[in-house]
Amino acid sequence: MDIRFVNPFVIAVSNTLTTMLGKTPQRLAPVIKKDNFAQGDISGIIGFAGKVVHGSVALSFPEATALKIYEMMVGEVQPKINTDIQDTVGELVNIVAGGAKTDFDREGLDFHISIPTVVVGKNHTIVHKGSSPVVVIPFQLESLPFSMEICLKMEASLSQPSRQARVVAAG
Amino acid sequence: MKILVVDDSATMRRIIMKHLNDAGYTGTVEAENGLEAISRMEGVELVLTDWNMPVMDGMSLVKELRQNPAYSRVPIVMITSIGARKEVVEALKQGVNNYIVKPFTPSILIEKIKSVIEVTA
Repeated sequence: MDIRFVNPFVIAVSNTLTTMLGKTPQRLAPVIKKDNFAQGDISGIIGFAGKVVHGSVALSFPEATALKIYEMMVGEVQPKINTDIQDTVGELVNIVAGGAKTDFDREGLDFHISIPTVVVGKNHTIVHKGSSPVVVIPFQLESLPFSMEICLKMEASLSQPSRQARVVAAG
Repeated sequence: MKILVVDDSATMRRIIMKHLNDAGYTGTVEAENGLEAISRMEGVELVLTDWNMPVMDGMSLVKELRQNPAYSRVPIVMITSIGARKEVVEALKQGVNNYIVKPFTPSILIEKIKSVIEVTA
């Protein structure tokens, strides 16, 4: 997977949380995932498919991070993961995928996104679409960790980024 | 003003309805998909709808409302994470009056709603 195509998703995570929470998450160094286990207690996963680009993206949150994000978004405290928290995580991954889709669209790369699914539990697994390597990008929102996973395949003959994409990648 | 908020995310409906309430729009009702929205249209003066929803999506809802003489003139604002040009153009072509891309700030939401109300009054 070309790491440059991860950028639209990273930008979408930052834009989504900055706009909705008024806090900008800090991105840490990406790593290649070695197994299917999620890093968090709750994960939202969404698939996308187009002629050129297809795959899936997931956001995975430890319980404390998910509860804090819900509190910051809605202004209500929840004591533990429940249907409201699951709904929020599903909506966040939906917004992130939509934001990335908008960026890819500017490069002429169109794809459809699916309805998100949410998985809850300690040591749950995330099964991505396709056999490409899964890149994990850890984030810190203030002191609270969460991560994004991306499994993305570009058709080889069409995967050369345009000048604009290279500028974004370099930035 | 009776405003119908349509979104499959209860959290997003809650956020939108809070912003509407804070701006003085207190007569809001909600639905979690397009089909439920159609059953709640009685007396609705403005529809705010998501696009990507199960059962019936936002674009199908727009088409249904625009083909129904009773609701064909009700203003519709699409609020969605999909900001790609092709989708925005398609939504406007089908009769959406304005388009808001998630994530949005409260001020963007209220400004666009006010704009639609002014233009369609």
